[in-house]
Amino acid sequence: MTVANMFKEPGANPYRPWPARITSIIDLTEHEKLFELRIIDEKVREGFQFDSGQFVELSIFGVGEAPVSISSAPSKQGFIELCVRNAGDVTGALHAKKCGDVVGLRGPLGRGFPFAEMKGHDVLLVAGGLGIAPLKSLINHIHDDRHDFGTVTILYGARNPSEILFRYQFDMWKHRDDFNLILTVDEADESWSDEVGRVTALFDKIDIDPDNTYGAICGPPVMYRYVIDEMRKKDMDVDKIYMSFERRMKCGIGKCGHCGVGHQYACIDGPVFNYWEAMNLQEAI
Amino acid sequence: MFFRVMESSRLPDLVRGFAQDHEVIGPVAKDDRFVFATIDDPAELRLDYDTTLLPPKKLFFPAEDQLMRFRVADNEVLDDEVFAAPRVLFGVHPCDINALLLMDNIFLKDYVDPYYKARRDATLIVGISCVPSEECFCNAWGTDEAHWGFDIFLTDLGDRYFISVRSVKGAELLDDFVETREITDADTADFQRVTAERKEMFAEDLDTSQLPLLLDAKFDSPVWDALGERCLSCGACSMVCPTCYCFDVRDDLAPDQKTGTRSRLWDSCQFSEFSAVAHGQNFRDSRASRVKYRYYHKQWGYLSKFERVLCVGCGRCARACAANITPREVVSALAKGGFE
Amino acid sequence: MAPRVVVMGLASDFGCQVQMTNIEDDLLDVLGLIDLSYWQLASSGHMPAEYDVAIIEGAVTTTEHVELLKRVRATAGVVMVIGACAVTGGIPAMAGQGDLEERYGCVYGADGAEVACGRVSPAPVKSVIDVDYEVPGCPMDTTEFLRVLSRALQGLANRVPEEPMCAICKTKENICFLDKGEICLGLFTRTGCGARCVTLGRPCTGCRGLAKDANVESAMKILAAKGFDVDEVAERLAVFNTLEEAFCR
Ligand SMILES: Cc1cc2nc3c(=O)[nH]c(=O)nc-3n(C[C@H](O)[C@H](O)[C@H](O)COP(=O)(O)OP(=O)(O)OC[C@H]3O[C@@H](n4cnc5c(N)ncnc54)[C@H](O)[C@@H]3O)c2cc1C
Ligand code: SF4
Ligand code: SF4
Ligand code: SF4
Ligand code: SF4
Ligand code: FES
Repeated sequence: MTVANMFKEPGANPYRPWPARITSIIDLTEHEKLFELRIIDEKVREGFQFDSGQFVELSIFGVGEAPVSISSAPSKQGFIELCVRNAGDVTGALHAKKCGDVVGLRGPLGRGFPFAEMKGHDVLLVAGGLGIAPLKSLINHIHDDRHDFGTVTILYGARNPSEILFRYQFDMWKHRDDFNLILTVDEADESWSDEVGRVTALFDKIDIDPDNTYGAICGPPVMYRYVIDEMRKKDMDVDKIYMSFERRMKCGIGKCGHCGVGHQYACIDGPVFNYWEAMNLQEAI
Repeated sequence: MFFRVMESSRLPDLVRGFAQDHEVIGPVAKDDRFVFATIDDPAELRLDYDTTLLPPKKLFFPAEDQLMRFRVADNEVLDDEVFAAPRVLFGVHPCDINALLLMDNIFLKDYVDPYYKARRDATLIVGISCVPSEECFCNAWGTDEAHWGFDIFLTDLGDRYFISVRSVKGAELLDDFVETREITDADTADFQRVTAERKEMFAEDLDTSQLPLLLDAKFDSPVWDALGERCLSCGACSMVCPTCYCFDVRDDLAPDQKTGTRSRLWDSCQFSEFSAVAHGQNFRDSRASRVKYRYYHKQWGYLSKFERVLCVGCGRCARACAANITPREVVSALAKGGFE
Repeated sequence: MAPRVVVMGLASDFGCQVQMTNIEDDLLDVLGLIDLSYWQLASSGHMPAEYDVAIIEGAVTTTEHVELLKRVRATAGVVMVIGACAVTGGIPAMAGQGDLEERYGCVYGADGAEVACGRVSPAPVKSVIDVDYEVPGCPMDTTEFLRVLSRALQGLANRVPEEPMCAICKTKENICFLDKGEICLGLFTRTGCGARCVTLGRPCTGCRGLAKDANVESAMKILAAKGFDVDEVAERLAVFNTLEEAFCR
């Protein structure tokens, strides 16, 4: 049984986090760290199956909870990775933790990217800033199932080179011919040899087959409209463009009401929506 | 469903009977208003109440509700038990019965909420017929009658009650504690007469035709700006509403900072912080957008999932709003494109 | 090392420090976690030269206060202000309205302005230095004090509630004072005390300061429409909120 179902079993308490141990911490940038977590209960750990784009509620007792996307690929089992920016109470408390410390997790939650549906197609992934966190999971999942996909294009933009996440991996990937990876920053420095400018400007540099391409977008709220415009200019179908929304969340399970976007709840109806759904969603983009 | 008739004079026996194994909670007077409170003596019951300050939701989903106790050092839950003693909620109006059914959709489906469920399972509901007040508009949503969601329902026929029996437990308790008789044609005729007379008492009907579509089509209506200027962002409307279920979650540490409690507290989409996220972004920054969301969620968001609007027309928000923003006014202003 | 804490008072009636003594049992638990180096109300010694957390009560009323606060800010990593006087200027701030010189004349006699030399118009601590944590109210609420202190010890952000009082008041099933024809400042005042006064049968006096979410303009109109005297409302608001408009918005 998967963990999502265990939450729904009679007598289960979906508000009760599972203890999980931090097994590795990597400093990515000044504000972001990558945490590897192992759920302590073996049965739960093994049942923890998820889709890219799903999230967990990270729980630190005494401080609170925060929704965080799973960054590792579903094809990797036994642990999950969270790429977390220190943005306030809970994320700050997590940043203060050390390897071996225990935190809580509830999840996997929400609706992720339609991986099965994307299989057999080309994909175009566009990330801005911290938006790479959920997309990283999808990218690595595609990587592990590479033969099931056509061309894979990844456009990733950040404000400046020091804010590019997972640079160690991406620097290597730039040289692979099975991934078309383009990095860009708003403001370059002398270390930077990739593109400069907005991620939307990269659309001039890519060729896509609109009938056969799935898009996935994640980034700051302001980014969506512009990226979608570019995708639509390339004639991509509205229902093949997927995006993940960040909203305030307390429960993650459709009860607390905080994550409302138009008539939907981001936590259970999303956080991943396709553009057709988003077009029909007030307050979305 | 089967039916019984009970003499009005038997009512105290019924209450006392329930009280043997249950806490009995019912409407009692508080100054010139009413609240649901524990009944020690059947004489305290005020079945003639118009509406209560807070709806019965407070008994299933308290304003401040401890979810769990925890230990900080190893992030461990110490206790998340819910204690729910058997009780009878005596004298609930149809609107509030229907409101609980709407709450059930949220708390008893998908991820079942164990706190709500335990209290719901431990509570019998005795419905009581009512006389519409000026603020009531349950007739607009068809929540003026309750067809399920109760164990027994008493319709006041003057000298006797016409009792609809829904559950086995209700039937048993009724049998155990009071003398009732089978209904006759005369009883049914009186029941129909009383029901028809009540229907006549409602203030003019509210035109809710195509409301969900109007909310979308007129999403940018200036009506919302006008309401936003008036609204005090006080959240009173959400607190008193029997169908508003939003909550915030808060951790509190014991003074020694070693253990603590995680609680949930009623929240309101009318507060600016409700949809604020990190980095200063707020998806509903203006009062107008928040007033609008209250209606958008109730009349369309919830409807899109459960095929019912999230309002039972109890009129509590209308009474509670100092700015006098009422569903009746909002719905008709939206339809007409302005205020009268 | 346990954080070194000092508690000091500016201009106030020490009511909030007294409140602190009222929570002795809980305080002892908290005291186990901190090193209370100086407590103006309770200790006879001097302020130490170094400390980590400064808890300040009272409004700023003299140039000495201003200098003291600047030194405190330079020394303490964390500054926490407690009580209406320190948070909003409170009642002392009312005295700052109008011609200060003339007032000192009233209080201290003909050469009052001279006697009162070094006086400044009463103001909240935040008008002089940056403040990290606030516990509003007159007197402050002890539960809230412990909660804020706990947040400070954990290094969590200051979080003063932003909504008006009415929501929590409704959860207590109080009958609204406005419906009873009495002025209540709950529409303006930030929540967080559990609507203590209203629940005890007194209208809200606004001692916790203006709620950021409050719609002052609309509330005034509404009260006027309900037949209340808006000048009286404004006067009552001024008791604790003279300076709120200026510093909070
Ligand atoms: C589906 C989803 C996936 C996400 N994935 C990631 C991810 O992979 N990595 C990541 O780093 N982040 C992610 N986030 C964002 C992350 O959830 C937030 O940064 C996090 O919730 C912040 O919580 P916090 O307790 O650290 O900050 P908080 O202390 O809650 O504060 C954050 C900010 O919110 C505002 N705020 C919060 N509470 C209040 C209040 N009471 N009063 C006033 N202002 C307030 C303030 O502006 C504050 O600066 C995701 C969010 C969602 C919804
Ligand atoms: S919205 Fe108002 S009328 Fe409708 S159920 Fe809630 S309180 Fe009652
Ligand atoms: S979003 Fe607003 S209207 Fe909807 S249930 Fe929550 S508080 Fe009520
Ligand atoms: S009760 Fe009225 S004034 Fe208060 S938030 Fe609701 S609509 Fe606005
Ligand atoms: S009594 Fe005061 S605080 Fe309570 S609802 Fe009325 S105005 Fe608001
Ligand atoms: S986070 Fe609670 S409803 Fe979505």
